[in-house]
Amino acid sequence: MTSPPIRIHGFTTEVLEWRPWLDMVKLDTATPAQLAALDEMSAQARSSPYFLLLAHQPDILLQRSIAFNAIMFAPGGMPRAERELGATVESRVNGCVYCASVHAQRFQQLAKRDDVIEQVFTEPSSAGTTPREQAIVRFSMQLTSNPDQLAAEDIRALQRAGLEELEILDLIHSVALFAWANRLMLNLGEPVFPASAGA
Amino acid sequence: MTSTPASSATVDLIDTIVPLTPAQRTWETRRQRPKVVAATQGSCEAMFSPTVAGISVAERLLVALHVCRVSKADALAGHYRDSLLAQGADDHLVDAVDSSRAASLTDLRLRTLLDFAAKLTERPVEGDRAAVQALVACGLTTPAIVALGQLVAFLSYQIRLASGLRAMAAAEAAP
Repeated sequence: MTSPPIRIHGFTTEVLEWRPWLDMVKLDTATPAQLAALDEMSAQARSSPYFLLLAHQPDILLQRSIAFNAIMFAPGGMPRAERELGATVESRVNGCVYCASVHAQRFQQLAKRDDVIEQVFTEPSSAGTTPREQAIVRFSMQLTSNPDQLAAEDIRALQRAGLEELEILDLIHSVALFAWANRLMLNLGEPVFPASAGA
Repeated sequence: MTSTPASSATVDLIDTIVPLTPAQRTWETRRQRPKVVAATQGSCEAMFSPTVAGISVAERLLVALHVCRVSKADALAGHYRDSLLAQGADDHLVDAVDSSRAASLTDLRLRTLLDFAAKLTERPVEGDRAAVQALVACGLTTPAIVALGQLVAFLSYQIRLASGLRAMAAAEAAP
């Protein structure tokens, strides 16, 4: 990504750090279950403050890691870039600057463009560069903000935009997953911006 | 997850509360993501595991009931209410939380847990260090706070997954 980072309304595509408000699990005293849960998440989780905090509850982290990887990386169904778009919209609406940054970057890497990210950061309700993308963004916003009002018509709007059943399920999973992730990121610590990282 | 009761191994809570049956295309579509099905159920069981220390199963179920009421997730709220009553929770306490009279509770610790849960559910961006410190002041350890945070965050996932699948099933029934 050689293009300059997007910075709009406090959201950014820069790489951010995250700082927990509570003590983390220390690797040298971690239990086998804690290490297994970290490794289930990713090869980098052992060096992530976020996952080292969540490792205090290894059974929960293990299940969450399996769910996370299956939802974001499973083959077939919705293209991965669009799952990242759903995650980015959820994060934008919830105000999770950290998650929005990570998943906007993943969208850029997968889709090789960032036009819709700029739109989502600016004003999500009108974002989307194609009718299909607009439908994905609108559905993601509705599921984020008004899950109790979701109805058959919301599904039909996705179908009219060309989404198949498994793609719709993948989108529901992705948005729901970030309802979960945003709340951990926003309530157990805070993002650290590059300029203040050394302060 | 050796602590998982054998009786729950065949029950999928999402299928139960949506509800979904194998006769529906939405049920079949969901089975195309078997790891998500299993890890969603596994997460739910881990959230309420008796092996988690520092925050009781009853406290966690009361939090879940409160979050579901705040979110207008009636079917899930009914499930957590039934779970509380099945494990012998105080009827008056369950009724107070179930009818959104949590502010009337005299138990300061429980009220702090429920307030944290409601704010995290409805206005997650307002999460701050002071809210976490209020939990510490009530005697919660870091592992207990992580368990509570995971539970409340997971409930937002569970509620959206259930409502998304319910909408898919409705669209399937009336295309």
